[in-house]
Amino acid sequence: MSATRLARWIGGAAVLLAIIGFFLLPYVWIIASSFKPQTAIFADMKPLSWRTFIPAAPTMANLVSLFRERDAGRALLNSAIVSLCQVAGTLMLCTLAAYGLTRIRFPGAGLVFALVLLTFLLPLESLMVPLYITVSGLGLQDTLAGVFLPWIASPFGLFLLRQAFEELPRELDEAATIDGAGHFRIFWSIVLPNVRTALATLSLVTFLFSWNAFLWPLVVLSSPRHAVIQIAVAQSVAPGQMPNWGQTFAGVTVATVPLIILFLFLQRLFVRGIAMTGVKG
Amino acid sequence: MIRRWVTIAAFIGPFLLLLAVFQYWPVVAMLRDSLYDFQLLDPSRRSFVGLGNYLDVLTDPDRLQAFAVTFSFAAGVVVTVIPTAFLLAVYLNGALPARALVRTIVFLPVVTSAVVIATMWTFLLEPNNGLVDGVLTAVGLPRLDFLTSESQALPSIVLMMLWQQTGFATVLFLSGLQAIPRELEDAASVDGASALQRLRHVTLPLLARTTMFVVVMMTVFSLQAFAPPLVMTGGGPDGTTNFLAYDIYSLAFSLQQPGLASAVSVIFMLIVLAISLLQMRLLRARWAY
Amino acid sequence: MPRLLLLACLAAAIAPSVAPAIARADDAVSAPTVACPQGVLMLHMLKPQTNPPYPGQLALFKAANPCVALDIAEVPFGQLADKIAVLAASGEPPDVIVYDGPNTQSYAAAGILLPLDPYLPAGVKDDIVAPTLAEHSYEGKLYSPGLQQTTLALFYNADMLAKAGITPPGRTLDQAWTWAQALDAFKKCQQGEGDNVTVWGLAPSRFGNGTPGFVYRDLPFLRTWGDPKAPPDSSVYKTYWAISPDGKTADGWLNTPEAIAGAQFFQDLFSVAKVTPKAGIPDAFQTGRACFTLDTSYFIAGLTNKDPGFKWGVAPMPYTRTPIVHTGSITLGVMAKSAHQEAAAKFVIAMSTGPIALDLARSTHILPVMKSLYPSLPELTQYPLNIFAEELNQWGHPRPPSAKFAQYDKIVTDALRDIAYGAAPKARLDAAVRSLRPILAR
Repeated sequence: MSATRLARWIGGAAVLLAIIGFFLLPYVWIIASSFKPQTAIFADMKPLSWRTFIPAAPTMANLVSLFRERDAGRALLNSAIVSLCQVAGTLMLCTLAAYGLTRIRFPGAGLVFALVLLTFLLPLESLMVPLYITVSGLGLQDTLAGVFLPWIASPFGLFLLRQAFEELPRELDEAATIDGAGHFRIFWSIVLPNVRTALATLSLVTFLFSWNAFLWPLVVLSSPRHAVIQIAVAQSVAPGQMPNWGQTFAGVTVATVPLIILFLFLQRLFVRGIAMTGVKG
Repeated sequence: MIRRWVTIAAFIGPFLLLLAVFQYWPVVAMLRDSLYDFQLLDPSRRSFVGLGNYLDVLTDPDRLQAFAVTFSFAAGVVVTVIPTAFLLAVYLNGALPARALVRTIVFLPVVTSAVVIATMWTFLLEPNNGLVDGVLTAVGLPRLDFLTSESQALPSIVLMMLWQQTGFATVLFLSGLQAIPRELEDAASVDGASALQRLRHVTLPLLARTTMFVVVMMTVFSLQAFAPPLVMTGGGPDGTTNFLAYDIYSLAFSLQQPGLASAVSVIFMLIVLAISLLQMRLLRARWAY
Repeated sequence: MPRLLLLACLAAAIAPSVAPAIARADDAVSAPTVACPQGVLMLHMLKPQTNPPYPGQLALFKAANPCVALDIAEVPFGQLADKIAVLAASGEPPDVIVYDGPNTQSYAAAGILLPLDPYLPAGVKDDIVAPTLAEHSYEGKLYSPGLQQTTLALFYNADMLAKAGITPPGRTLDQAWTWAQALDAFKKCQQGEGDNVTVWGLAPSRFGNGTPGFVYRDLPFLRTWGDPKAPPDSSVYKTYWAISPDGKTADGWLNTPEAIAGAQFFQDLFSVAKVTPKAGIPDAFQTGRACFTLDTSYFIAGLTNKDPGFKWGVAPMPYTRTPIVHTGSITLGVMAKSAHQEAAAKFVIAMSTGPIALDLARSTHILPVMKSLYPSLPELTQYPLNIFAEELNQWGHPRPPSAKFAQYDKIVTDALRDIAYGAAPKARLDAAVRSLRPILAR
C-alpha cells in the first residue's frame, strides 16, 4: 500500500472514530456511570482514561435504589400503558377520519382537512394552561388517560394516513360496493390491510413521541403513583433537590434503553418513516 | 341522504370532537385569559385588563429578552445543524461499509427524549466534574464555565441541540443525496466539472427542497424547547436561556400570572404560525429536473 | 380481534386512573366497624419528599386515632409550589398540604387555606414561638401552628482547621465571627489553586440543586449589612428588612447601597477569593472536600448517624453589621376546600403539639415551635443544638413576608444566583426590583 493511500486510510479511520466518539461517548459514560458509586464517578474523571468509560468495580446499587426508592418500575409501566394506548387511540381515530375525508366524497372535506392541519402548528407550550383547566374540568387531571387523550386526534397521523389512502386506487372501493359492501366493510377489509406500512410507521412515531413526552405529563400528573418514566428521571435533576449522580444516570439509562432497543430492531421502519415525511413534503 | 351524513359523522366525528375539545377550545380559552389578570390559586377572582397584558409583554425587557433568546437559539441551531448534517450525509454517502453503523449511532440522540438529553448534558457540562471538562483538561485546553456563564450558556445548549438533531437532518439529507440519479453526476464529470463544481451546480440545487424541510423542522423543534431551561439552567444566567416555552410555564405556575402567560402564548403562537406558513409556502417551490 | 385488543388497551389505561378516582369519591368514609362506629375517615395529604412529617410521627398519630387513615402523595420539593397552585384550582384538592412556611400569606390571601383559630385548644396560640406566629398569621388569623423551626449555623471540619493552624470559631453567640474573619479562615483552609482545588473553603449550598442563590441561605448575606436599630427611613434600616412592611415594595429595600455591598461580598466568594464553587458537589463537607459549610440542625443527625471520619464543630452564623438568620420551615395547613375540615385541622394541630411534636424534635434535632416543649428537650440548651435555639430566639427573622412571597422568592433567588455567577450586583438587584414592581403592587 502506498504512503498516500495509507495516510488517507488512517485519516478516514480517524474521522470515522471521531464521529462515532462524538455521538456515542456520552451514552457510554452515562450508562457506565450508572454502575459506579458516586465517588468513583468523580475520581475516574481526572485523568481521563479507560476507567472513565468502563466501571472498574461495577455495582448494581444505583439501579436497585432507583427501582426501590424512586419506583422506576411503576414509572416504566405507566409509560408503557400511556404509550400503547396513545398508539391504539391514534390508530383508531386517525384511520377512521382519514377514510372519511378521502373515501367518502362530501363538500367541505378539503376545508375540514385544512382546519385540522392548522392545529398542527399550535405549540403545546402556549396551550398548556387552558388545556390543563379543560382536562381538569373533565376530571382527568392526575390520570393516565389525561396524559394521552388530548393527543390521539393527531393532525400528523391524519396527514400521514391521508397520503397513504390517496394512493390506493378507487377501483378497489368500487368493486367492493358492487358486491354490496358498506363503507365500514370497505374500510376494514380493503383499505386498512393495504396501508400496513403507513400504520406501522404511524405507530412507531406515535410511540416514540408518547414515550418521550415530558411537558404535558409534568403539567397534568401530580402524584408519583402515576408518574411516567420521563417525569421520574427529571425529578432527580430539577431544582429543589441535590442530584445523586449515580442514581440519576441509572434513571436516564432505564428511560432510554427500551427505546434504543426498539429502535435497533425497527431501524429501517423508523428511518423510512422519517424520510418519507420529509422527501415527499 | 341522512344515512350518508351519519356515516360521515361516524368516521370523522370522534376525531373532530376530540380536536375541538382539546385543541380549539383551549385556544379560545387562552385568548380569553389573556385579557384578564388572575392567579392560578384562585381563578374565580379575576379582573379585566383588556390589552394591558399585551402592553406589558411589549414593554417588559424580560419578556422581550425571552423572545430574542428563543429566536436567536432557533437561528443558531439551524445555522449549525444544516452544514454539519450535510457534510455528514456527504461523507456517509461515500462510506459504504460503515454507513449503516454510523447512521444508527448518529440517530440515537434523535430517539432519546429531550428530558434525558438535557439531564445527560447537565452532567456532561458540569464545570468541575463533567465529561466535557474532563476531555478539555486531558487535551490541555482551557476550562470553561458552560452553563454558569452568561456568554456560554446559550451556545452550550445550541451544542446540545446540534448533538441531538444532527442525526435527523443527516438521514434526510442522505435520502435526498441517494435520490440524485448517478447519470447527472457522471454527465457533469464528463463535462469537466470538479468535485466542488459538481457540488455547487448539481447536488445543492437538487437538495433545496430537503434543505427547506430540514430548516422547517429544526426551527419548530428549537422554538418549542422546554427541557433545557427547566432541567439545566432555570432560564438563567440572567435570562440568557429563558426560552419562551419556559417563560410561559414559569409566568403561569411560579409567578402566578397566567393572564400574562396567555398573552405571551398568543403572541408566540401567531409568530410560530407566521413562520410555519412562510416556510411551507417556500417549500412549494419545485425544482424539477 | 385487533379491535378487541384496542378496546382492552384503552380500558387498561383508563382503569388505573378511574378506579382510584371512583374509590376516592366513596372512600372518604368507609363502612362502620366495631372499632370505629362512624367508619374510617380518609384524609388526603400532599407533602414534599424527604420532609416531615415522617413515618414515625404518622404512626404515632395512627395509634392515637385509629379511625383516621392517611393517603399521602409526595412530590419533589422543587415542584411543590407549582403543584399546590395547580391543585388548588382543581376540583379535588387534598385535605392537608405540607408547604414552605413563607407562602402562608399568599395562600391565605388567595383564600385556599383554612383559618385554624376555631380548632385550636386553649393556650396553644400563646405557646407558639414568635417568628412562627408572625409567619403563619394573616390579617389576625392563624393558618398554621407551624411544624418545626430551623436556622443555619457554621459547621467546620476541626481536623482540617487544626492542620491549617486556624483557631476554631467560638461556640457562643457573642463570640460569632464576622464575615471578614470567616473569609480569612476559608482562604487559609482551602487547598489547591485555580482549577485544581481539592478542598474548598466553603462548601456549596446543599439547598436546591447546589446552585447558589437560594433566598433562605443567601439573602442574609445582604440583610446582615443592615441595622434594625437605625432610623426607620435610612437605607441601613431598610437593608435589614429587604421588603416594605406591607410586603408591596422592594424598591429601596432590596437594592440599597448596603445590600449592594453585601451582594458584592457574596459574589467575591465565588469570583475573587474563589473559596466556594459555582456548581454543587454532593456531600462536599462529609467527604472532606470542604472545610466549612452552612447548614441546619438536621445536618447533625446525618453526621452522628454516619460518622464522616473527622472531628467537626458548630459555630454561630457569621455577620457583617447585624447578625441575622432566616427562620421558617416546612409547615402544615388545611385546604379551604377540604370536605373534612375538622378532622384535617385536628390532624394538623396534633402534628405540631404534644407527643408527636416531641418525637419529631427528638429524632431529627429540629427546633420545635411550641415553647412548652423546650424544657423536655434538655439537649437544646447544650452544645451544639443550643446555638440553633439561641439563634432562633435572638437573631431569627422570617424570610421577607409578603402575599407575593413565592414570586419574590423566585426572582430574588435568580438574581442572587446570577450575581454569584458574575452579574454586576447593582444592575442585577435593580433589575430584580424592576421585575418585582408590578407583581408586588397588584
